[in-house]
Amino acid sequence: MRWLFSFLALALFCVVNARSFTGSRLLVVLEEESEREKYGVFLGDLESRGFTITTLTPKSESLSLFKHGARAYDHLLLLPTKSKGLGPALTANLLLDFMKKEGNVLLALSAETGTPTAVQSLLLEVDIHIPSDRNALVVDHFNYDSTSAAEKHDVLLLPFPKPARSDVKDYFGGEGVIAVPRAVGQTLGNESPLLAPILKAPSTAYSYNPKDEADIVEEPFAVGQQLNLVSAMQSLNSARLTVLGSAEALQNAWFAEKATLAGKAVKTANRDFAAKLSSWAFKETGVLKVGKLTHYLNEGSSKKLNSSSALPENNPKIYRIKNDVAFQIEVSEYTSTHLTPFELPPNDILQLEFSMLSPFHRLNLSPISQTANSTIFGASFRTPDQHGIFNFAVKYNRPFLTGIEEKRQVTVRHFAHDEWPRSWQISAAWVWIAGIWVTVAGWVVFVGVWLYSAPVGAAVKGGKKTQ
Amino acid sequence: MAPKNRNPAATQSSTQTVPSTPAAAPKPSSSSTKKPGSGGAYDAQDIVLGIWNKYVEKTPQRVKLLDTFMGFLVVVAVLQFLYCIIVGNFPFNAFLSGFSATVGQFVLTASLRIQTNPENKSEFENISHERAFADFVLGSFLLHFFCVNFIN
Repeated sequence: MRWLFSFLALALFCVVNARSFTGSRLLVVLEEESEREKYGVFLGDLESRGFTITTLTPKSESLSLFKHGARAYDHLLLLPTKSKGLGPALTANLLLDFMKKEGNVLLALSAETGTPTAVQSLLLEVDIHIPSDRNALVVDHFNYDSTSAAEKHDVLLLPFPKPARSDVKDYFGGEGVIAVPRAVGQTLGNESPLLAPILKAPSTAYSYNPKDEADIVEEPFAVGQQLNLVSAMQSLNSARLTVLGSAEALQNAWFAEKATLAGKAVKTANRDFAAKLSSWAFKETGVLKVGKLTHYLNEGSSKKLNSSSALPENNPKIYRIKNDVAFQIEVSEYTSTHLTPFELPPNDILQLEFSMLSPFHRLNLSPISQTANSTIFGASFRTPDQHGIFNFAVKYNRPFLTGIEEKRQVTVRHFAHDEWPRSWQISAAWVWIAGIWVTVAGWVVFVGVWLYSAPVGAAVKGGKKTQ
Repeated sequence: MAPKNRNPAATQSSTQTVPSTPAAAPKPSSSSTKKPGSGGAYDAQDIVLGIWNKYVEKTPQRVKLLDTFMGFLVVVAVLQFLYCIIVGNFPFNAFLSGFSATVGQFVLTASLRIQTNPENKSEFENISHERAFADFVLGSFLLHFFCVNFIN
């Protein structure tokens, strides 16, 4: 009986423990408390994943993102509200400050209520653009749900997104179709490397304002795959801003709804997509953690590696030029409940830079071994023929993964006077060594013969006479 | 060497006459003073032979020994330099010390030759041959010490 109890306790602990890597306090801002029911399944899923949810309205007195200058919540879910403004507690600046303190924001927009000005300016700040018309929405005359939107074609049915490139990890893949009703399309600025599309509109979609009476849409906001239905911005401090064009997609009504796509009956898989999207947005997936960075002299008897996980890094402070050095870095990826060994996406590499101002070496790190929850990547190389202050630097910034930026500083000294190879070890010098010793030997012989051939006194006098 | 020790005035006059007939000038002046009969023909082989014979005949044993040693040093230096040109100067300190060992030894030997040549006796009255030789030995020791250290 007792083991059963402890087993249950362990299971419960595991369920509760399943939570975000950065914290579990989630603030949900919505129009009024009664709206909570509409998102009940989604919020219930979040709660079961370990989030502590606080639901507040923009008008609420106690609404504040910060407490005593620190973040009061770890994550923010902003559902659409009817009012134009969000009040003094949710200005664009405060939302940005929240992100500067590594808070994650999931923004859900809606074409029906329009986008509050605070959110508009926040999106402008991060170079995500939404239509200026309040009610503009995305329609598609090919991929619409003919059950619920036979006339308006504004409920899009889309497959799960695939990674845009082969070297990006897939966090949003799945089976089935996602219903995206009445979405606000976004376009992403070209300049920012921090932006990434999650769900693009199909090539037949376009954005238009249903209030517009004209028969033909002239100069639409954006068309085709320029339009993003879900997009993401991950800042350099790894805070995540996720913009979901359609808040309705998170509602209970669309979580497992029967729909018809091109005459075929399908069932929407919004619940799965919402879970994947929110777990990425709230840092349950795609979080990298760097363990120990070690580097050591990889030469002869002085080769020693601190492989103990208990000991601190304890790396050498100084190397000599032309030393053989090995480097290792331990990287884990957090996947919703625990740290797992990080596996690079195919076609991607983790690189080490050995740099003084500019990199002298840029080397590919290859996975050497795996522990229970980390992969150890390593590379060995020879320090360049240049003394100075160098850095072992690993930088790895990829879409949908939190960035790695690690640096370890070392001194690289020049040869000490007794570390140069002796002359006889260099075969090219043998001739000149021989030159010296032949000269010395010749000199010894000369001295001997000189002393032996000393002229007798008479000879010297004779020599004098001749002159 | 022969004309030099006559007297200072003669040396000066002979050096002044050199520009007019550079190759033949020393020969007649020396031969006319000592042996008028031997310098009859002026072709190159005779001149060289004459110089060589005179050198063998008149140079003291020790000066000949010095000249041999200096010739040996020149050969060693040239060989090292050729090797440097052909193979490259990679351990440059090795080349420097090997080459300068011969050059330095040559200079020291030349000094010893000047100081001990009986024909220069008038200029080195107060330096005995033993003193000159001791200087030479000390200088050579220093040179070898430096070269061996520098080649590492």
